[in-house]
Amino acid sequence: MKVFLCRLLPLSTLLTIPASSWALTSVESTTILRLEQRDAAGSKKDVAPLTQFLGLDLDRLSGSSLSLHFYGWGRLDLAEKSYNTDQGGGSVTYGYLQYRPRDANAELRLGRFFVHEGIVNEQVDGVGARSDLPFGLAISAFGGATVHTVNLPGEESDGKGDGLFGGRVSYRYRGVVEVGLSGVYESAAPSLATHAGGNHRLVGGDLWLAPHSAVELTGHSSYNTETSQVAEHSYLLNVRPVQELTVSARYEEERDRSYFYTWALFSGAALDPADRSRSIGASASYRIRKGELFAEYRRYKRELGTADRFGGEAKFSFADNRVRAGGGYHYLRADQSFAISGTQSPSYHAVRGYLMTDTPSYFGALDLTAYLFKEKIFGRKSAWEGTASGGYHLTRALALSGDVAYGSNPQFSDEVRAVVRLTYNMAYDGKGGTK
Amino acid sequence: MTTISRRLFPLILAGALFLLAGCARMAALPSLPESHPESLAVGQQVNCLECHEDQQKGSLKSFSAFSHTAVFVRNHRFYAQSDDRLCASCHKRSFCADCHTNQVEMKPSLKYGNRPDREMPHRGDYLTIHKIEGKIDPASCYRCHGRGNNERCISCHR
Repeated sequence: MKVFLCRLLPLSTLLTIPASSWALTSVESTTILRLEQRDAAGSKKDVAPLTQFLGLDLDRLSGSSLSLHFYGWGRLDLAEKSYNTDQGGGSVTYGYLQYRPRDANAELRLGRFFVHEGIVNEQVDGVGARSDLPFGLAISAFGGATVHTVNLPGEESDGKGDGLFGGRVSYRYRGVVEVGLSGVYESAAPSLATHAGGNHRLVGGDLWLAPHSAVELTGHSSYNTETSQVAEHSYLLNVRPVQELTVSARYEEERDRSYFYTWALFSGAALDPADRSRSIGASASYRIRKGELFAEYRRYKRELGTADRFGGEAKFSFADNRVRAGGGYHYLRADQSFAISGTQSPSYHAVRGYLMTDTPSYFGALDLTAYLFKEKIFGRKSAWEGTASGGYHLTRALALSGDVAYGSNPQFSDEVRAVVRLTYNMAYDGKGGTK
Repeated sequence: MTTISRRLFPLILAGALFLLAGCARMAALPSLPESHPESLAVGQQVNCLECHEDQQKGSLKSFSAFSHTAVFVRNHRFYAQSDDRLCASCHKRSFCADCHTNQVEMKPSLKYGNRPDREMPHRGDYLTIHKIEGKIDPASCYRCHGRGNNERCISCHR
């Protein structure tokens, strides 16, 4: 009953507003029919799932500061079951009423929504509010029922508690510094039969510092109150010596048990408290007249071993952005301890290239992604997938398109897929770019 | 009234007065615009400096906090976590849901097979690759799949 009520809450917000007072701002509908043939170890399977995505934004309800936002999807299998044991499926990603007064960046939400505040990243069926306060201060809070996912294998729950609340207070001084304190508290996690679960309770701080317009430091640290140990440090430094060039450095460290504490699927709470995952990296982006060049390096260190990743990408646009092209290459060098069980090496090259055109009448794209393994994985030296796509803008908002894709990889000896896609994407208020 | 309540009372009173004073001044605090005043090109990385020459002196964050270079796109979580109102000025809320959701069956790159120019996770044969990447950087999996959107994981990890 509780789960039913939780699912009903976001949908019930739709019923609170008389239809005559709706001011439709945008509607986004994508209907996708996939036709796939999967061949795994000689066992062929044909699937034909029909999926409907729907997004709505209704602003200025009854001429007020009220708005309503909804996004969800549903799937029906027209042939064999495509995903799990059900012939259909669906989910409400979000559905909430929002009241946004004119001043102080104030906001009140009711329904199902995501919360991104400092160290808090949650989805909740409930209420959330936030506002700027005088003297550079700001405050936010949320609370409600946890949005559950599917049950863990062999369990009667997903390992989450039923309710959660949290919030953030912050201080900002002009465009120079912002510091925040945030936390999330979830009610007691259910007992699990075969997994190690734990209560989801974190506090932490976040920082944004720009002492000069060309320098920016941002990041956060979190502390797990259940393990009484730091869970995560995650920081990014950006430097922009000239307008076209951005150079960044990133540092991340997770104390495995504290960070993955509630990841019951992989028994996070049972991990060794001494284990850490660290990564440092640097990247640079340089804008050129018709495109951008990008390069990056990253080093990972865990108890298992170390790994290095480096590579670069380039993207270009021509003919007033009607033709776009891009490509990239990355190489991952990793210790053998990271290899897939039964294989010799985890190292691989990743190569990708694409070309697309988008005109007022038609559009098309070619896309190729390939992984070249240093040593064979399940007898295969590579995995690749190519997609060709074409479509036509029937009207400014309505487009019909289709993709054909073929792939070969260690999991599926052959993977053939066709997609038919009908997209309706209309913004009624002239709001800035949507995608 | 218990001893603890008596001790907390001045604090609660001071907090209430502070809140009241704050609310009285809130009408003078400006809000971010609900939407960007001009339409922005679809499928083109935005260079905010074309118009926003200097945000350092104002109340907003600096250029690098929202100009969409490849570096920004790869690190956008740092910005979205502290101020998603700025994102919502230009992007529809569903823009985030294309990749970030609690339950989804279709890879974003499949849904948008006609938009290879968009940065999207798990392109190509990620079924094989995730067995390597998951060991090297499990935090990158956990951020999206740890407590939500785990249905795909459960179909194999039993």
